[in-house]
Amino acid sequence: MLEKQLTGHRVDRSICAWFWEQVISQGDSFKVQCEQHPSRCHSILCSMEDNRPEKHTNNEVYVDLVEEMDAIINSDGALVKCEIHGEVQVNSHLSGLPDLTLSFANPSILNDVRFHPCVRFRPWESHQILSFVPPDGQFKLMSYRVKKLKSTPIYVKPQVTSDSGICRISVMVGIRNDPGKTIDSITVQFQLPPCVLSADLTSNHGAVNILANKTCSWSIGRIPKDKAPSMSGTLTLETGLERLRVFPTFQVGFKVMGVALSGLQIDKLDLKNLPNRPYKGFRALTRAGEFDVRS
Amino acid sequence: MFPQFGATADTLSKASTMVFRIGTDAHLYDDPEDVNISLLLDSKFDSEKCEALKRLLALIAQGFDVSNFFPQVVKNVASQSLEVKKLVYLYLLHYAEKRPNEALLSINSFQKDLGDPNPLVRALALRAMAGIRLHVISPIVLVAVGKCARDPSVYVRKCAANALPKLYDLHLEENTTTIEEIVGILLNDNSPGVVGAAAAAFASVCPNNLSLIERNYRRLCETLPDVEDWGQIVLIGVLLRYVIARHGLAKESIMLSSCATVSYRSENDGSENDGSDTNFELKENGKDKGCDVYESELPEIVSRSYLEGPENYLSRSSHADKGSFGLDFSCFTSAKSNYDVKILLQCTSPLLWSHNSAVVLAAAGFHWIMAPKEDVKRIVKPLLFVLRSSNASKYVVLCNIQVFAKVMPYVFSPYYEDFFICSSDSYQIKALKLEILSSIATDSSILVIFQEFQDYVRDPDRRFAADTVAAIGLCVRRLPKVSDMCLGWLLALTRQESLNSDIGSVGGEDGVLVQALISIKAIINLDPPCHEKVIVQLVRSLELIKVPAARAMIFWMVGEYNSIGGIIPLMLPTVLKYLAWCFTSEALEAKLQILNTAVKVLLCSKGEDMWTFRRILSYVLELAICDLSYDVRDRARVLKKLLSPLIVSHDLEVEAKGLPENKDLKIVVADLFFRGQSKPCPEPINYRFYLPGSLSHIVLHAAPGYEPLPYPCSLSIDELGHDFNDVQGIEALREGPTGSDSYGVDGSDTVSGSLDGENTSDYSSEYSITGSGGSGGEESGSVSESDDNADPLINFSDVSNACANQNGGSQDNNAPSRIDDFEELMSKKSLDSWLDEHPSQSSSELTHIQRSSARISLGHIGGRVKLKSHKLLDPVIGNGLSVDYTFSSEISSVSPLLVCVEVSFTNCSTEPMSKLLLVDEESSKGIDSAEAALATSESPLTSDKDVPILVPLEDINSLDASQTIRRILQVRFHHHLLPLKLVLWCNGKKHPVKLRPDIGFFVKPLPMDIEMFTSKESQLPGMFEYTRSCTFTDHIGELKNEQCDSSLIKDKFLVICESLALKMLSNANLFLVSVDMPVAANLDDASGLRLRFSSEILSNSIPCLITATVEGKCSEPLTLSVKVNCEETVFGLNLLNRIVNFLAEPILTTL
Repeated sequence: MLEKQLTGHRVDRSICAWFWEQVISQGDSFKVQCEQHPSRCHSILCSMEDNRPEKHTNNEVYVDLVEEMDAIINSDGALVKCEIHGEVQVNSHLSGLPDLTLSFANPSILNDVRFHPCVRFRPWESHQILSFVPPDGQFKLMSYRVKKLKSTPIYVKPQVTSDSGICRISVMVGIRNDPGKTIDSITVQFQLPPCVLSADLTSNHGAVNILANKTCSWSIGRIPKDKAPSMSGTLTLETGLERLRVFPTFQVGFKVMGVALSGLQIDKLDLKNLPNRPYKGFRALTRAGEFDVRS
Repeated sequence: MFPQFGATADTLSKASTMVFRIGTDAHLYDDPEDVNISLLLDSKFDSEKCEALKRLLALIAQGFDVSNFFPQVVKNVASQSLEVKKLVYLYLLHYAEKRPNEALLSINSFQKDLGDPNPLVRALALRAMAGIRLHVISPIVLVAVGKCARDPSVYVRKCAANALPKLYDLHLEENTTTIEEIVGILLNDNSPGVVGAAAAAFASVCPNNLSLIERNYRRLCETLPDVEDWGQIVLIGVLLRYVIARHGLAKESIMLSSCATVSYRSENDGSENDGSDTNFELKENGKDKGCDVYESELPEIVSRSYLEGPENYLSRSSHADKGSFGLDFSCFTSAKSNYDVKILLQCTSPLLWSHNSAVVLAAAGFHWIMAPKEDVKRIVKPLLFVLRSSNASKYVVLCNIQVFAKVMPYVFSPYYEDFFICSSDSYQIKALKLEILSSIATDSSILVIFQEFQDYVRDPDRRFAADTVAAIGLCVRRLPKVSDMCLGWLLALTRQESLNSDIGSVGGEDGVLVQALISIKAIINLDPPCHEKVIVQLVRSLELIKVPAARAMIFWMVGEYNSIGGIIPLMLPTVLKYLAWCFTSEALEAKLQILNTAVKVLLCSKGEDMWTFRRILSYVLELAICDLSYDVRDRARVLKKLLSPLIVSHDLEVEAKGLPENKDLKIVVADLFFRGQSKPCPEPINYRFYLPGSLSHIVLHAAPGYEPLPYPCSLSIDELGHDFNDVQGIEALREGPTGSDSYGVDGSDTVSGSLDGENTSDYSSEYSITGSGGSGGEESGSVSESDDNADPLINFSDVSNACANQNGGSQDNNAPSRIDDFEELMSKKSLDSWLDEHPSQSSSELTHIQRSSARISLGHIGGRVKLKSHKLLDPVIGNGLSVDYTFSSEISSVSPLLVCVEVSFTNCSTEPMSKLLLVDEESSKGIDSAEAALATSESPLTSDKDVPILVPLEDINSLDASQTIRRILQVRFHHHLLPLKLVLWCNGKKHPVKLRPDIGFFVKPLPMDIEMFTSKESQLPGMFEYTRSCTFTDHIGELKNEQCDSSLIKDKFLVICESLALKMLSNANLFLVSVDMPVAANLDDASGLRLRFSSEILSNSIPCLITATVEGKCSEPLTLSVKVNCEETVFGLNLLNRIVNFLAEPILTTL
């Protein structure tokens, strides 16, 4: 059991000669650095696994904000819950032992946080600053949650009425709150209730597919400028069933590039302990997470 | 069609992949076997060896077994090339365990590599060595681990820590102390990586040796945030156990709130008052009477379950009163003022931000148990944030939150939104969320939650919808304010559902309706008079409702509440007529309820209606008697007989006459029907609470390896002073919860020096071993050992001036004089006066073998002999039946071939067990019932050949919960060493068990004097004499104890003698012949101390003599040379091995 854990642990798998070469070439100073930055040491060991040299020809570091929006809209169309679950992903290709400091313009909006082990707790506790020595390559620096958002970028309005064995469905989709960037790859999915025998659904934009497991998926893509996309159609219920009493939940997907919908803003990224100025890149992306619209 | 073309395409694609992979070894994965690997391996070029090894590793990665190359690979370990060496070790790590014998061949290379300047090679060598799981090399590996534990390289030290559990798995009993020492060294390490691995080793090697933690506690706390994830989890658990064992529970924490329930409640009331600013609203106010008591008891149940394990707690609380678990009020600490607790709380708080969900949960669990109640809210947000990870961890976290939310609903109530259901949740998660929502709903949030619930009922998953309806019922019970709103909604739902239930035969449709009625019933029950109209409405909707269970419930309500309010009595005649009319078309359960209702209504009726009701009842009874179902017929007959005067009497006159009789009947029947209805008692808490974050908590039974928290403050300060006493301390600690009430008894027992009368021994009362065995004996032994060191063990039996340390009290008084006595003895050198007090040894006073040695007798040692109990059946496997056995010193009266074993059966479950029987495997074969097995084994015994494997013990017909029954089992082992397979029957179920022989009990004491001993010894020279030596350390702990209690200065020699004799007598059925003590100038030199034991082999009465001679200094580990003289060579050797083994093993905890 323990053995398994250890072999599973990244450090343990054949530590490559690189580490020891470093020790030999840099002598004690390297060891001291390792002692001072246990997390850095850890990351060095991690990086050795990939045989990635610590010396990069082009010094660069990318910080991405990747956010997922979770929302619940109840059958009355009211927004019950809307929150963002986000991650700060860092891709670092920096030589040596850089010391990075990342600060946000509005850290107070963060509701909950979780950190990569390389983040020092004290600076965050005192000033909400992320101070860390990054491991090499892509890693998740921090995940956070922003609760109680007021609105969603798009609206989805389903209407389900049923009468005499036939159920009419119509779903409207549109932009509620323009984030300033295009909203892409919009999809609406829902599970047909088990009592539905057949479905006939059409849309004025995008494609409607009914999959084998009775999942109906409507992929819209981008919302056209001239019209509001809508899907409508009828469901035939089991014989003997007058009206539909169970209502499907619509799961919405979308993606917005270049915007963090939580409003979290990176203030600055300071790099210390570096021989030359590296390239710094920032990106943001928001997509739908658990976006449920109940009918 | 174009094979050539296809081939070209193939080679082309191959070529293109080759092009892309230039400079890497990836191509080796494509076709590792396209060359002759063994040729390459034998090559003289390192590069070719490398390639061969890489190919082998590629094959391993693809799942092939390449262990046939083992000999060829292993010889390359001596290679000078670092690259080859590393690859060889990678191969070896994979196969060392599977091919230990071949790996053994290169053990010398491994040992050489342990001295390699490259730490990587050292680590790999150590890992390969530890991977070879053979007893033969364990001493070498142990030395290697010990060396590597002091290595300058962090990585090597970490590997040493990881090797320890592997070594420990080999059950090297004689090396346990060394392993624990190394764990201690590694825990003391500066590097977080090593500490994490050391914590894991500690947890698996010696989880109870908490003194190791004591030394490093503060530093461990401080390094905690830097340790890697999985190490953090283990370390938090270890530190929690330490803090509780050392300082006790925090008095501000949830764990102790129950002790002062009153203050807890008042505190809560306080928080309710100022709830406006804190957000916490406490909804349990005085209104919900039933639930009130129940909820306030919950923290107590939880904390007790954590401490004792739910099985123990539940079984005890069902039997005795709950207060019997005396949680000492002195054993708590304060989380605010105790620095140790405070620092750990501080160091675990940042872990709540960990990216590893398991770490967050572990840290939250620690805060839950130790943090002050007002700080527990700190764990809420991190826990809720973890909910956004994978589905599996979501479930685990929700399971834990469920308990937290039940105990402290108010900390979770502001976050109700986090428990709203998403469409992607699995059913299990949805059910947990509903349960949590219903327990944290408050007056302010219930409206929003209720709105959500309404949406959930429309969910296509009908099982979930039914659960939602049940959750609404639960909410209303907690918050009666919303009962009207919920009832209205539930009624509407009932109407709507009943419309569909006739068509909707799809699974689960009925469930929602039935659940809605159950909820309505529960709500009405809170305050029946207020909800009279609801009942009327339900009765009206009877026409629509077709589900039998639902109808039965409405009938029940009519009967139950037939006399409340103003409307129901008015409509009763009509309703009853309707019931009678539809009786024949009802389902079974509804029919039974109609009968009940008719009777209830009749019994409560007055005036003219009575006549109508009587007629209806007799009509229904007539119908019922002819019913197809015998249940209905039976009930009808019973009711008819019971109520015959009521039904038959047609005129008032007759009734008046029979009135007294009727009245009695009424009472009887009313009693029958109304019993248990007064108020539904709060549901018994059927939850089992395990420590937060444990596997047991998820599966709700004790998973293997689960241990409840240690008994608070069981680790006392003086125990911590000595390394070798640790084990004892832990023993007391483990015994803590159960042993707490037996302290007093044991004390008196040992002080008076009397033996337990449970077991009589026929040879020597002085040396008789307490046969109480089982847990009782063991407990008393351990408790007395750790508790009263003032206990007399040795009597100086000098006739003139016997040291009168017969009991604690007199010893205290005589302490100074005793020393004088001893000095006198030393100076006098008149060894003739060293006499044996005991009559059985009176003859020994005549002669002395060695002029330079003194002979002493150890009195009352029998009282401290502690027989080791072994586990025959674990309660986890045996459905709660726990069976332990102890080799007893009794001698079988049936046949000399039989060994007596005392078996104690304990029922750890809550239900009684029946038909317990232990039979041997053979006799149970082919025989289905236990009775038959018994019959065959009852055949009389005539000769040795017919001696059965097992003399049948009286079977135990029933074993009540937590009852313990002891039985003496007489067994014939086929072999001294091989276990005997037995079958244990219990409740008609068969459990195969193994009884392991202990050769120490294959002998019986042979009383003799020293002369006889020496003459016998001289007859058994040469090949009948075997000697082995071992180290003995038990006395060191004792000696250190002595030093602590400065008031009692005991002679070191006596301590050694007593611990040695105790060890021997506890582990083998022997007779102590004599103790020879050297009277040398050097008081610290124990060399020459000699103990003689005699015994004879049970089966053939061949005498077996044992002599143990001590070498070395008193305060250091002693070298013991043990000599056995016995004619039966094999037996003698085996016995010698056994003796050496148990002497060398340190005092172990016997759990």
